[in-house]
Amino acid sequence: MHATLLGLGHQLPPLSAVAGVHRPIAASGGSSDLALPAAHAALKQAGLSVDATDFIVFATMTPDVTFPGGACFFQHKLGAGTVGALDVRGQCAGFLFGLSIADQFIRAGTYRRVLLVASEVISSGLDYTEAGAKVATLFGDGAAVAVLGPSDNGAGVRSVVIRSDGRQYDRFWCEYPSSRQHPVRMTIENFRDRLHFPALDDQVVRQFGIATLPAVIDEAIAKVDVDKDAIDMFIIAHVFPEVAAQAAERLGVSKRTINCGERNNGHLVAAALPVSLSTAVANGEIGRGATVCLATCGAGFAWGAAVVQL
Amino acid sequence: MTDGLRRSRILSVARAVPDTIVTNNDLAGRMETSDEWIQQRTGIKQRHFSEGDTGAADLGALAAAEALQRAGIRPEQVGCVIFCTLSPDYDMPSSACVLQARMGMSGMPAFDIRNQCSGFIYGLATADAYIKNGACDYALLVGGEIHSTGLDLTTRGREVGVIFGDGAGALVIGQSDDPARGILSCHLHADGRFAEMLWLESPGSREHPRLTEQMITDARIFPKMKGREVFRHAVTRFPEVIHEALDANGLSVKDLDLLIPHQANQRISQMVAMGLELPEEKLFTNIERYGNTTAASIPIALSEAIEAGKVRDGSLVCLAAFGAGFTWASALIRW
Repeated sequence: MHATLLGLGHQLPPLSAVAGVHRPIAASGGSSDLALPAAHAALKQAGLSVDATDFIVFATMTPDVTFPGGACFFQHKLGAGTVGALDVRGQCAGFLFGLSIADQFIRAGTYRRVLLVASEVISSGLDYTEAGAKVATLFGDGAAVAVLGPSDNGAGVRSVVIRSDGRQYDRFWCEYPSSRQHPVRMTIENFRDRLHFPALDDQVVRQFGIATLPAVIDEAIAKVDVDKDAIDMFIIAHVFPEVAAQAAERLGVSKRTINCGERNNGHLVAAALPVSLSTAVANGEIGRGATVCLATCGAGFAWGAAVVQL
Repeated sequence: MTDGLRRSRILSVARAVPDTIVTNNDLAGRMETSDEWIQQRTGIKQRHFSEGDTGAADLGALAAAEALQRAGIRPEQVGCVIFCTLSPDYDMPSSACVLQARMGMSGMPAFDIRNQCSGFIYGLATADAYIKNGACDYALLVGGEIHSTGLDLTTRGREVGVIFGDGAGALVIGQSDDPARGILSCHLHADGRFAEMLWLESPGSREHPRLTEQMITDARIFPKMKGREVFRHAVTRFPEVIHEALDANGLSVKDLDLLIPHQANQRISQMVAMGLELPEEKLFTNIERYGNTTAASIPIALSEAIEAGKVRDGSLVCLAAFGAGFTWASALIRW
């Protein structure tokens, strides 16, 4: 049986003023730290203790250290024993990639209680000086955790469509450290050239987003054989909020759409979609039984959409 | 298959390693070490280092292209690309996306799994789930590493520097038409209490800022290891997770035809085999020629084991890994 959402929690750090805007920025700690309160909230909502967890999937672009992955640090801080802890990299689409992986393990009967974490502390890797402010101010920190288990009534993760196209990987990337640079992957020169900060090609990233988002949303909805009108809420994330808005407009669902970037004061990368979903549930904007379509497109390029019945 | 699920099976295996061989004596020319010291502690005689502008995805693409050819699968038939690495081509995006670009593939999901030395078995378990559920027909699973550009190859970094090598391996995984054959089960574990026993600290999001010139100067961009602790845990967790796989399938060590442990250290592999009372000929090792290639070591070893005739139809093969995280894992396969 496919996976369903048993609990959901999120954590947004307070807004800080950077380069003339306000963004959620963690004052200290890494992505595993930010995810911890979100996990406690999600487990509480699910009525489960940490001990019930039998697997962790951690989606991030900003792990605590280069290796091991954020899942190991998170597992330790949560006190989740020796359960498997998988780190997945799907960039902005990391949550949907993680949702797909968790759903597949649950469908296969391998695990019954999976903590799916999407957490980013990206601010510590951004250039807020004048040289980098244009890119840096696009982003914010945030975390969300979903507790997933097998569905007993057909609700839950009704479809997940994930896709990648690496042919323009250098249009939205962070080049360094780069294992392909010989003899050493990170030098003082690379640092001074600011190549350890993310960079993006504004036009290409916008165009790719608008070309893929409406189509992948249609695909995810078509898979579950429901009418677009039967979707109660659309949650769309893109590094440029205008692209998410444009996608909603093209689908004719603007009035039912949460635009993550606007809602969260910045793009929270892998955490964007689940933070918005968790916030909407916490605010009572959607409740049990509601059908939500989540969609995003970002670096890689990697994109996807999911239809989830709460 | 009483559970109604399909079983997955490894359809093909291939490897790619760079041409340049670096011997222990070559390393002794760069740092205070010796061939004898390295061999005694690790069993390693040589490793391969890449040159020029070769990334993990480039080596991975070479192995992947060969694996696809062997399986008779066209790139566009692949439903899922999983790349396991701890030395990605770039900080982001994933090396899976870079591999797609190198192979002219697009459309199917491509993602990285970052589980260090256990990464390949984590990836195998994930691919197995997608195939079993029918979510895709073919999965391309790649382990690729370029360690040579991320090592402190001076006396300061010698404890870690002498261990690692570059390489890649790839598998095509598809459905098994015989329910008795294929991937029987996978078992994944982690214990983050020991995350700092074998790790690469910087850059990391928990430092604000995550990277400084000082971190580069202080060699915090290179991996560090508490070797004794790693050894101690490895020789406990390896047998534990191997037994877990055998127990789950009602089998015992005497049923095993071949154990392919992640090639971490020859002493660890030997001690594990001895503890299991596994005859020496059933333990596969090739660390002497490649060093530790982390997520690439199991598929490289598997491809050599097949070529050496050690894996035949019906063979019971156990893959097992332990490494940074700590993470550990096993997979039991009826070939």
